Amino acid sequence: MLILLWFLWDASSAYWYDFGISQLWASEWYPYESLYGLLPAIIGTAWAMIIAMLIAVPCGLAAAIVSSEILPVSWQGWLRLGMEMLAGIPSVVYGLIGLWVLLPWLQNTLDLLTGHNLLAAGMILSLMILPTMMVMSQDALRLIPIEQREAAMNMGMNWNQRLMRILLPQAWPGIRSGILLGLGRALGETMAVMLVVGSLDRVPDPIYNILEPAQTLTSRIGREMGEAAFGSMHFSALMACGLVLAVTAICLSLLAQRKPREFAS
Amino acid sequence: MNINTHTNIKEAKEAESCTVPAYVCLENISLTLSEKSILKEVSFSLPATGISSLIGPSGAGKSSLLRCLTNLYGNWQGVISVAGVNTHSWLGGEDALRRHIGLIAQKPSVFPASIHDNVIFGLSRKERKQDQSLRIEQCLKQAALWNEVKDRLHEAANTLSVGQQQRLCMARALALEPKVLLLDEPTASLDPHSKQLIEASLHDLAKEMPSLCVTHDLEQAQRLQGQIIFMCDGKIIETATVNDFFQSPKRLETREFLRWSVCDCD
Repeated sequence: MLILLWFLWDASSAYWYDFGISQLWASEWYPYESLYGLLPAIIGTAWAMIIAMLIAVPCGLAAAIVSSEILPVSWQGWLRLGMEMLAGIPSVVYGLIGLWVLLPWLQNTLDLLTGHNLLAAGMILSLMILPTMMVMSQDALRLIPIEQREAAMNMGMNWNQRLMRILLPQAWPGIRSGILLGLGRALGETMAVMLVVGSLDRVPDPIYNILEPAQTLTSRIGREMGEAAFGSMHFSALMACGLVLAVTAICLSLLAQRKPREFAS
Repeated sequence: MNINTHTNIKEAKEAESCTVPAYVCLENISLTLSEKSILKEVSFSLPATGISSLIGPSGAGKSSLLRCLTNLYGNWQGVISVAGVNTHSWLGGEDALRRHIGLIAQKPSVFPASIHDNVIFGLSRKERKQDQSLRIEQCLKQAALWNEVKDRLHEAANTLSVGQQQRLCMARALALEPKVLLLDEPTASLDPHSKQLIEASLHDLAKEMPSLCVTHDLEQAQRLQGQIIFMCDGKIIETATVNDFFQSPKRLETREFLRWSVCDCD
């Protein structure tokens, strides 16, 4: 991991030495005028992840609860198989479905000039991380011993109480890992996002306007790397985008790995 | 007397019931799981106070019977009445029924919380926010655990030994103030000292409520005194007082079981 980070640092060092860390909050990205502000892509990435999580976390958790606590055992296998198949579909396929189905639908429903926007990117990402969320949450719920459920039932706790006071608190470490791994996938996803986000290097105006075309770090790298001459400042700036992504992904992985705090009085 | 109890007593008139003064009454309970007959027309009753021991070989259906009593198995046939009320028409449903009947499982299962919080885990949110020190102390004393944990109530419950966890589960059940106590081999995996403590607290509790204790241990059944209900292959073979059961058993199956710990009742 350190070697990978060192390579990224080495490839982007020219950019950091020439422009400094202030480029993280510079809002102009015009490579032909030597402006390499990372802020539009950082904000785009953050919005896409937030939207994806807002959709995927409740849906994934609900699917896991229904699957492990309500559905008959014979159905659980089928649901899990379906989710695992969804997780295995190449991301470009999600992007193509987004292009064909989601963008026209968003454009018509919200009366927009174009369906390419951050909302579309977030929705596609949510679909892609939903299986991870669901499967990990389901595993976490299944790991809770049956005796805990029966002990709660023997105490006259109803279904809601068992869910809120026994199951979710005990499954939380697994659910949290699912959320963070899903975030990691959302952060690194390139193809599907690139196809639907609109790739416009501009900070949304106002900043919460998720219905404008925008750019994410991954879609910028994917779209522009072919145009950047090897060793140029443009190339170095794109490597800097990669470094920001890698550091963020490592932080998320470390959070996911962190052991849940042991019970303390 | 709360509204729940009042309505249940009213409903009692409609329910089929055993002879008074039985508090818990089972009539012709049958249970089939995966096309296998587990219980076959089981009938017996528990008096308003005192211990009854449910004994029999493994697979006799003893634990299944307890699960029918608390509706953990819902597909049994027959009539179970508690305080004269048919459990199928229990006001508040099966959750309210389970609060009325405390079931202590064979394997202790404490929640990942402190000893203090475990005892009050089943109380309502409003009750939990109030000071429950007295209730906690009383329940832990009833479960013969108070002296061992009174200085560390806020430590994690899973740091206790298995025997202590079992007694904590008993205290947790008692905190809900059940009117009937069911115990499924509560001392199966405990050391002799813990076993002795639980038996002593059972004797005290049985003075206030009917208690049914499933056990494999014939010596324990003798120590617990009260009524013995002998089950084999899903059927009640014999019900008698401790002295009658061990000194002059009426059925051949009972004599075989007492002698060889096996039962061939087919």
